[in-house]
Amino acid sequence: MITISGLTKTFGNNAVLRGVDLHVDKGQSLVVIGGSGTGKSVLIKCIIGLITPDAGQIIIDGQDVTRSGHDNLLHRFGMLFQASALFDSLPVWENVCFRMLRSGQSRGDLRDLAAEKLRRVGLGPDVADKFPAELSGGMQKRVGLARAIAADPEIIFFDEPTAGLDPIMSGVINDLIREITTEMGATAITITHDMSSVHAIADQVAMIHDGVVQWHGNIGALDQTDDAHVRQFITGSATGPIPTLR
Amino acid sequence: MMRLLAMIGAATLGGLATVGRMALFTASTFRHLVTQPFYGREFGQALFQIGFLSLPVVGLTALFTGGALALQIYSGGARFSAEAVVPQIVAIGMVRELGPVLVGLMIAARVTSSIAAEIATMKVTEQIDALVTLSTHPMKYLTVPRVLAATLVMPALVGVGDIIGILGGYIVGTERLGFNAASYLQNTVDFLEQRDIVSSLVKGAVFGFIAALMGCYYGMKAGRGASGVGAATKGAVVAAAVLILVANLILTEAFFSI
Ligand SMILES: Nc1ncnc2c1ncn2[C@@H]1O[C@H](COP(=O)(O)OP(=O)(O)O)[C@@H](O)[C@H]1O
Ligand SMILES: [Mg+2]
Repeated sequence: MITISGLTKTFGNNAVLRGVDLHVDKGQSLVVIGGSGTGKSVLIKCIIGLITPDAGQIIIDGQDVTRSGHDNLLHRFGMLFQASALFDSLPVWENVCFRMLRSGQSRGDLRDLAAEKLRRVGLGPDVADKFPAELSGGMQKRVGLARAIAADPEIIFFDEPTAGLDPIMSGVINDLIREITTEMGATAITITHDMSSVHAIADQVAMIHDGVVQWHGNIGALDQTDDAHVRQFITGSATGPIPTLR
Repeated sequence: MMRLLAMIGAATLGGLATVGRMALFTASTFRHLVTQPFYGREFGQALFQIGFLSLPVVGLTALFTGGALALQIYSGGARFSAEAVVPQIVAIGMVRELGPVLVGLMIAARVTSSIAAEIATMKVTEQIDALVTLSTHPMKYLTVPRVLAATLVMPALVGVGDIIGILGGYIVGTERLGFNAASYLQNTVDFLEQRDIVSSLVKGAVFGFIAALMGCYYGMKAGRGASGVGAATKGAVVAAAVLILVANLILTEAFFSI
């Protein structure tokens, strides 16, 4: 479904991605792990077309998007941003159904649809008419999630979906992501630091380090690997090949 | 000496690059203005924000300036016993120059700054990125409604400013300087020409276009973080104010030379 080869991106003299190769099959859930600032968000933004890579190729569903652009694919994407990125001038329900607001459906129907999507992420209908600034960070995250899945996308990107949530809500979100990928057959790429998420969501795991994919394999192989970077990351150890001063 | 030349060269190139980027941004605004979709709801909100909510500040500015203008012309005119021209000069001064320029500058302060801060905040919090992923072009959704609304509503604001400014002069003239109320108004109306009023409204439209465009331009190219929002707001207001004054000179030349 998504094949990335030789992807590079440099900001000024900060070489963030230095030749990323990655592949995800249709309906699979790939989790990308890696220390903060290693370019995981930049990678996702390259795939979805928000950042133009310097070199390399991204092929989505047979289409080379580095040549043809993303415009005709955007309606098949859903994205949850790391900081939610809700539109703070719009009430929650209009955020959730933003894509459908100009589709000709009545605002009443869309409001109901939003309430339904909000319920799926564990938010009551009273939230629908609030504004994003009135919500806690965790609630904003869930609204962002509801917005990402509202139009039943085929390819979904989650940038740190559980960061800042309590363990129970993290569990709810993990289950939801799992459910979306299995039920809807969507392809998902999730960035996370949270090892419980990795185990709950992933079919495949890729670890980014030093601008390249350091390790890539099935979730089952993650705990068996003797790759020192992966071991340090999953055990959360301060000593190892990954420098703690970044 | 070489260093100085190099600095001047770099500043010139930087300035030219900015002008070029603004020109491209303007072209892009027009391109998105004439292509579908058009976001009517956002346009309506922009009309309300820019037009209706600016009325108090426009009214106050014009009222007090009109009054002060009347006092100045009276005392200045007294030096060569020309006190009687107060109604005519207030009318011409407000309609041709002070009305459009003051309203333009107030809009740069009130509207340009808020557009720039809002869009820059959207930029740094990734809301602009989110728009793109939701198949919504930021130029169509954010820039076009604001620029169009400002261009259309500013002539009305300037018209209101002109009238209230003349009213300010009238109040001072009749209450303080002893002019006859009826003849003050008659003099004003008789003296103004169509060209004065048309130039005033055209200036308003141009200034409104500049004010909103600069807000959007600086907002969209904001850097990262809170300092990015601050820099965008400052840059937008300064650019809008300077461009409004430059455009004013050009338009005055175009309307009133000869
Ligand atoms: N738009 C940008 N302009 C300049 N530098 C950027 C930009 N986006 C990200 N970076 C830099 O790229 C690096 C990786 O960022 P990011 O992908 O957000 O990390 P993370 O892996 O934590 O998601 C950071 O050093 C960041 O400062
Ligand atoms: Mg990130």
